[in-house]
Amino acid sequence: MKYITLTFSLNGNKISLKTHGNRRLLDVLRDDFGLTGTKEGCGIGECGVCTVILDGKAVNACLILAGQLEGSEVVTIEYLARDGKLTELQQAFLENGAVQCGFCTPGMLMSATALLNEVPFPSEIQIKEAIAGNLCRCTGYKQIIDAIQKTAIRLKK
Amino acid sequence: MNTTPEIMIAFNLDRALKLLSGEKSAPLAGGTDLVPGIHQQAKRFAAIERLVDITRIPELKQVNVKNSGTTIGAGVTFSEILTHPRLGSEYPLLTKAAATIGSVQIRNRATIAGNFVNNAPCADSVPPLLVYDAIVRICSLKKSREIPLQEFLLKPYKTQLQTGELVTEIFLPPPPQNFGGDFYKLGRRRGVAISRITLALLLQTEKKKISGLRIAAGAVTPIGRRFYDIEHQYVGTEISAAGLKFLAVNVGKAILEETGWRWSSPYKLPVTQQIVYQILCKLT
Ligand code: FES
Ligand code: FES
Repeated sequence: MKYITLTFSLNGNKISLKTHGNRRLLDVLRDDFGLTGTKEGCGIGECGVCTVILDGKAVNACLILAGQLEGSEVVTIEYLARDGKLTELQQAFLENGAVQCGFCTPGMLMSATALLNEVPFPSEIQIKEAIAGNLCRCTGYKQIIDAIQKTAIRLKK
Repeated sequence: MNTTPEIMIAFNLDRALKLLSGEKSAPLAGGTDLVPGIHQQAKRFAAIERLVDITRIPELKQVNVKNSGTTIGAGVTFSEILTHPRLGSEYPLLTKAAATIGSVQIRNRATIAGNFVNNAPCADSVPPLLVYDAIVRICSLKKSREIPLQEFLLKPYKTQLQTGELVTEIFLPPPPQNFGGDFYKLGRRRGVAISRITLALLLQTEKKKISGLRIAAGAVTPIGRRFYDIEHQYVGTEISAAGLKFLAVNVGKAILEETGWRWSSPYKLPVTQQIVYQILCKLT
């Protein structure tokens, strides 16, 4: 099978990539671009560590094929902090003890970022719903929910 | 590396149907089932040589709610169903089921037709679609046809869909008036779980009698199905606690007849009967 050439936007950069269309977005990000903040856990859409934002929506990068990307816009965890400055949400994760081993953190941050972009002031139920597809083995969710809630309040001011 | 299948994006329906006309082509929408399947080289997808992405086809992305009935494009995602301004009030069991599917990430990708087109018993949208008498609209290069969902679903992982055909939309007749109803799902945990039992029930009462009844189950049955016999048997009967209990017991019996006794039956059967009973009580 021949290679295909894809054009899409990745973290604000226009990308042209020659690849096999049946590779997963997850592998393209990690292997071709070294964007290893997007992790692989289950590989079947259940754990959420591979969450990225595709055309404004939180999605699992393990469930998307490269050949489907043409013309779309992909944002990964590496695009949240700019010039060494964390986003309010990242800062709040640190301050609220929402990070322990850190493996789930990129996925949590991407899900929460997508939520806050869409719903500026989410209720606790909406927050829980938004991160229901992100599993954390360590912190117990409470701190994560607190961090998202506090960010919403801070951004509102 | 494994270089098949190749992926092609179709930007309109005609192109999709052309690309799908070959033996070894299959449509790809949300990919929540297909992509991990392909990646793990699952046998059931091994014959596919070309996947046609149908997520950019405008014709498949539309929802039209009219007095004469509602059409939902095959490629409409569960997130889109949930945020639609009218679907929730017209077909509340469908949106309730949609809310229980996967996670936000899954619902942002997974599509309504993708949910039933592989005929997995655990497809959560099937029982609600069945009680709303959903009709599946199908197109190929040569012709288009319509089939009631119940007939479309043949047996586990098998439907009436032929090579070259694509499900393009689902038609729902206007929702029945003055019906109450509920959808219930049991999984091993609350979030992102494959369902073990799903039930959809619509009930209409008039002067202490059952004047309309629709019941469908999924996951506990080999494929999602309606219980037409029981529905007919109970329409016109007097509402009483004992009567409703019998109705619930009969639903359980009908399920058992279909599945035979399984290791999980001692648990699932009473749960199913109890839930049917509880829903009936709540609605009467
Ligand atoms: S690796 Fe994608 S959801 Fe688990
Ligand atoms: S911090 Fe360890 S998995 Fe969440």
